[in-house]
Amino acid sequence: MRTSPKTVYLRLNPAVSTESLAESALFSGWQLKAYSSRKERREFYDTFEWQAFENEVAIVKKRRTLFLVDLKSGQETATLPFPAAPSSFYADALPTGILKAALSTLTDIRAFIRLCAIDTVITTYRILDDNEKSIAFLTSESLCLADREKQEPFVHLFSLSPLRGYDDEMDQMVTSLTNDDKIAKTLDFRELFLLIMKEAGVSVHGYSSKINLDLDPDAPVHESARQLLQFTFSVMRANEEGIKRNLDTEFLHDYRVAIRRTRSILKQLRSVFEPEETAYYLNLFKEIGTRTNELRDRDVSLLRQGSYFHNLPPCLQPSLKLFFSEIAVSRKKLHKQFCRYLASDACKSFLDEWEAFVHRQSAPDPEQCPNASLSTASVAVESIKKAWKRVIRHGRQVSEETTDSELHALRIDCKKLRYLLEFFSSIFPHKSVAPVLRQLKELQDNLGDFVDYSVQLHFLHERLTTLPLGKEANLLAASMGGLMAILFQKQEEARGTFHKTFEAFDHEKTAQLFHDLLTSKLK
Amino acid sequence: MKTIALYSIKGGVGKTAAAVNLSYLSSLLSQPTLICDLDPQGASSYYFRITASKKYNSDKFLKGNKKIYHNIKATDFENLDLLPSDFSYRNLDIELSEEKKPQKKLRKNLEELSEDYQYLFFDCPPNLTLLSESVFAASDLILVPLIPTTLSIRTYIQLKDFFEANKLDGSKIRPFFSMVEKQKKLHRDIILEFGNGPEFITQSIPYNSEVEKMGLYRAPLNAVLPNAPASKAYRNLWEELRSHLEKSG
Repeated sequence: MRTSPKTVYLRLNPAVSTESLAESALFSGWQLKAYSSRKERREFYDTFEWQAFENEVAIVKKRRTLFLVDLKSGQETATLPFPAAPSSFYADALPTGILKAALSTLTDIRAFIRLCAIDTVITTYRILDDNEKSIAFLTSESLCLADREKQEPFVHLFSLSPLRGYDDEMDQMVTSLTNDDKIAKTLDFRELFLLIMKEAGVSVHGYSSKINLDLDPDAPVHESARQLLQFTFSVMRANEEGIKRNLDTEFLHDYRVAIRRTRSILKQLRSVFEPEETAYYLNLFKEIGTRTNELRDRDVSLLRQGSYFHNLPPCLQPSLKLFFSEIAVSRKKLHKQFCRYLASDACKSFLDEWEAFVHRQSAPDPEQCPNASLSTASVAVESIKKAWKRVIRHGRQVSEETTDSELHALRIDCKKLRYLLEFFSSIFPHKSVAPVLRQLKELQDNLGDFVDYSVQLHFLHERLTTLPLGKEANLLAASMGGLMAILFQKQEEARGTFHKTFEAFDHEKTAQLFHDLLTSKLK
Repeated sequence: MKTIALYSIKGGVGKTAAAVNLSYLSSLLSQPTLICDLDPQGASSYYFRITASKKYNSDKFLKGNKKIYHNIKATDFENLDLLPSDFSYRNLDIELSEEKKPQKKLRKNLEELSEDYQYLFFDCPPNLTLLSESVFAASDLILVPLIPTTLSIRTYIQLKDFFEANKLDGSKIRPFFSMVEKQKKLHRDIILEFGNGPEFITQSIPYNSEVEKMGLYRAPLNAVLPNAPASKAYRNLWEELRSHLEKSG
């Protein structure tokens, strides 16, 4: 009895009894025959950023197997034996196969986290035609949230799966059931998925680290700034749990970006808030940020493991293993330390204070904060203009030798400009912001690569100077030396292309783009 | 995909019963199996309670691949599908004679199915026509049920002569005794005289009134009464065939 791939889910009209479903589905001479009954647990997974859902797939675990399900058709497109029920897993850790490949294309960095689990009671009937031949399965499912004290079904579903060659009969059944929605409504797998998530209290797409605000260009800038600060604070809050649960490295990364953006708002929008208060918060955020630096460095090192191994001859690889296990141990310690800090009274009370600040309704004192009442648009235009000119000025000052410190400083200038563009992008027409960001991105990529290599070089060099004597240490030193040579080469490449990249940025065309942006008709 | 035809010039020798039970036994080993009912009487379709959809006819069958694909129906048994016959199949011979290479038509028309099925059984109508020739060309094995009587033996010899005269591969033909009644002397004598021929399958199918009742159960005998003597015989016959097919690769 092979079923066609086409399964239709039906949700019964609440006013209709199950019996009338059977009556309406069956044509004269047809009958239902009980076939099987069983219980099943289904667990749903996705990343914190809903990368599976974004790509129209769901990841479902049932019957000790992991399934990749197409959200539109409900078809299971890949499977993998999966006896465990972890609270999260990485695609990387799965055995090679179609499913692993599919998940790896969704993300190579984020963990798949268990969203919720449901228990279903499944009763299957065969639909027999007037020859008493099975032509389809009718399955009735009651869905309950698992791990709840009271297990009450939140939805009762039916599905029809025709046997091969009986699609026409099924189409007739579905039509007679869904005619005017009298008896039932069809439900695709996507709707079913959303229904389950809603019931489990999981908000789909509940998170994005991208600034997605709709600022009012005429509003006083202190209001817009608070809106931005509320947003960056919500990102911090959203990532706390993931950091504590150690789900993946992106939680800490987004947390740090949110801190940097917060500081950038406070620092770059001068005289919008009281100077003393601003300085106080800037300091405290700096402290939280600093507390995460080492932890992030370890994360980055561990994420790069693969490429490090890849760059070394096999004889030098074993010594690296020990090196990375040391990093993993120290990362664990640092993670614990930071989590302790997050849970500390000092941190909590600071964040509570900050929360009160970002939600404060009253306008800042005009004497202390002369810019607070300026319009968002004027501040945006002025601050972007200033930041852009600073990038151009400093970029032009970079010497022929392009020293490390020059490039480091310019990178920070670029970042400031980038943040301002992101903060205020909603007040400008999208078509004028996007090209500017694109131009800036090329320069930022070049500088980012450069700084990244230099940080890695510095890290390896530091470790190298503390190596003990002995054979093992010699081998490790050799592998680190090998890596440093490669990193240095790459860093020099980035340095070598700087002037060309900057020339492309410091060009009439880019100037025109900025000019267009800053003089564009605001929304 | 291995293709097995249940064929005999003579009617009422147990072709359909063998096709239905052997295909069912094949599907039990999780091997996707298709039974293709070529007889306009549609006996094997009837046994599986399947009727062809109203739009299906011999025309579609001759168009092949996609048209055939859409008309295959699942039986009530896992891994066993059926392509039902239609009454219009009675004209298959005439229609086939209008085709370019009628002998090769069937093989070509079923090509695409080889990805989906491991075993394909033909339940053939009792005659020797162009359709039969097309079946011969499309089959890896031609199973011929023989009732141990003089007339049956005579038609079997006719078949062999036909193969020889038309230079067909006679090694595909594998006869087996069907509806055997050991208490009848004639049956015993004929089996003794012919049964040792190298092409003969050792296992025979005894006469069993339960086989006739398949029309009432409308299911393979092996599914309903697996311990009936005929069911056991079909099981052994399938084992013998399977090992033969596996050996021949």
